[in-house]
This record gives sequence, structure tokens and C-alpha cells, in this order.
Amino acid sequence: MAEINTGGGGGKHDGGKVRSKKASTRVDMTPMVDLGFLLITFFILATTLSKPSSMTLNVPDKTKEVETEPIKASNVMTVFLGKDNKAHYIFGKAATEDPEVKTVGYGYEFRQAILENTRKVGSDKFVVVIKPTKESSYRNMVDVLDEMAITKTKRYALVDLLTPDEKTLLKDKVKLDT
Amino acid sequence: MPAVKVKRASSAVDMTAMCDVAFLLLTFFILTAQFRAQDAATIETPSSISGIKVPDKDIMTIGLDRDGKVYFGIDNQQYRMAMLDNIATAKGISFSDKEKKEFALMSNFGMPINQLKSFLSLSHEQMGKIKQPGIPTDSTGAAASNELKDWVFNARKANNNLRIALKGDNLAKFPAFKNVLATLQAQNINKFNLITGTEAPPAGWKAD
Repeated sequence: MAEINTGGGGGKHDGGKVRSKKASTRVDMTPMVDLGFLLITFFILATTLSKPSSMTLNVPDKTKEVETEPIKASNVMTVFLGKDNKAHYIFGKAATEDPEVKTVGYGYEFRQAILENTRKVGSDKFVVVIKPTKESSYRNMVDVLDEMAITKTKRYALVDLLTPDEKTLLKDKVKLDT
Repeated sequence: MPAVKVKRASSAVDMTAMCDVAFLLLTFFILTAQFRAQDAATIETPSSISGIKVPDKDIMTIGLDRDGKVYFGIDNQQYRMAMLDNIATAKGISFSDKEKKEFALMSNFGMPINQLKSFLSLSHEQMGKIKQPGIPTDSTGAAASNELKDWVFNARKANNNLRIALKGDNLAKFPAFKNVLATLQAQNINKFNLITGTEAPPAGWKAD
């Protein structure tokens, strides 16, 4: 332990008188420290300190049909969440107009794409349509919603139905059948 | 003149101070921490930059594990019992007092209603061994086979202030989430929380 015996004990030295060794008044705290840290370790492992955070998700009311003005395709960025943590997006054109499908990873690339497209149309008109496919995971969806918060995109929609045109568009990117 | 003796330094370390620190920390941890609840499944949540904390009480948690199985739980034991009473009346099943007590102790569960009674009669060890199959859901959210809707409905009947938190696993596939979403939407619940871990926002980012 933390103490090394340096004294010679109560034995005879040089044939002198035998003296009873005076008991030390110092208490060895080492076992108590051991115990203390053991308990600390236990409490650290067994409890949760940081509370998880939460993001609020508002979805439109399904029971009410709200008439809205159709949005111009030139302002819309449609994001398809594909497999292997990749997102595909089209921007500025409807799926029928043979748009260019770009593929990005989540995170930085995706954020750059959103910011760039926001600049092109202006943040008040920019709309993102998020379309998760069945290949995508829950994490991908949360990531995208998080990007919306980071890039401060106010208008976005979560849509889970793909139109036939979009399906043909994504045919080679995502396996949508079976 | 005798030679000057070098005084040998004592190698005993005074542990008192260290002991004080250890117990101070211990006291701190005991007072601040809350125990991790025993969950029916391990769920690793994705992280987001959202700074809103999950509310302390009146919370209903719908868990979604990596295989798409659905788990359900509410935080208060009293309401948990009331919820079980409600669902027993609705489904025409009766639970004994012991089973009710057992149910009140479970923070969350993922059993279909018809297997719940036999599950509750098991010992704790056996409960831990059984792989819970998850609560049945479906994509329409309102079919008779969708039991999650019954649980949500009866939980809200027991406590009307319940907020809904959805805790999904990183690897859960989207269709599983869609089923849960459909179930909630079918009951006209359009606002809920997604439980996520916390991550730092990118540099220079400021909340509005």
C-alpha cells in the first residue's frame, strides 16, 4: 500500500534495552480511499447523468384537408433517403422533367447542398421535401431533420409516398421493389 | 562534532485528503444521479443538435429497436396500473393483483396483450431471458390488430397530460417508424418528441 515500513520494528538493536514500540496515532486511510473510489465507480456506471435531448416533430393533421397553393417545382429540393447512409436529391425540377439526381452523404456534404440551393432561390421560398424510402433508417431521418434545424430551413415536409416518376428516377439508386 | 545525519523522509502518504475528495465525489454522485431504468431493449438513439431536454414527468415513451420492434412505457407507476385496468376492461381480460403489481414495476415492455398475462406471472429472471416480441403495429394505424393504438389511447385515458416521446434506434428501418407515426396520427396526435442524444452544433451556429 502507500506505506513502506522503514523502521526496524520493535526488535533489539545493538543489545540495548527492549522498549515497547509506541503505537502510531496515524490511521491508514488507504482502504477507505479504495472503498470510496469503488463506490464512485459503481455510481458512475449505474446512473445516467446527462439527460437525452429531444426534438419536437410536428406532423400535419391527417383528418383535415387543408387547401394550399401548389409550390413551384423550381423552389423545391426533394431529398430521397436511400440505403447505405446516402441521400439522393433533385432540385429545381419535377421528377417528370428528367432532373439530375445527385448523391450526397449525410452531414457536411448535405448541409452544403442545402445551403447552396437556399441561396439560389432565397430562404423564404425554399422548400425541402423529405422522402424516406424503406431502405433508409430512422437515424437518417433524424439526421435530415437535424440538418433542417441547422440550416434553418423553415419549410419542409416529410412525405413517405413516392410517385411513379420518382420511382423510375431512383430505379438504379435504391431498390424499391420487394 | 558528530556527523550531520540526513533525516530520512517518511514514505507514508497521507491518504486523508484523498479520502475526503473521494467521499465528496461520492456524495455528489449519489445526490445528483438517477438510476438507469431497466429497459426491455437496448436502444441507441441518434444524436441531434436540439437542446430541448426530455421532460421529467408525464411522459409516454414509445421505443423502436433496431429490428423494428415496438416497446411502450409510461413513467408513473400509478398511471401504469390505471392504464392496465383500462385496457383489461376494454379487452375483457382480468389481471390479478400480483400481476398488476408486477406490471407497475416494468418501465417498458413489448408484449402483445394476449401474451401479457402469462409474461407477468413469470419470475424476474425468466422475464429477462425472454425476448419480447414487440407490440403489434401496422401501417394504417387503426386496424384491430394494432395494439399500440390501444395502449396509447388507454394511457392517455389514465393520464391526460401525457406527452409522447419516441425513442428510435439508429438502425431501425423507416417503415417501422412509419407504422408508429401512422398509429399516432390515426389518433390525431400530431406533435411529439423524438428522443435523441446531444451533439454539438456546427461552429458559428446560433439558435433563433
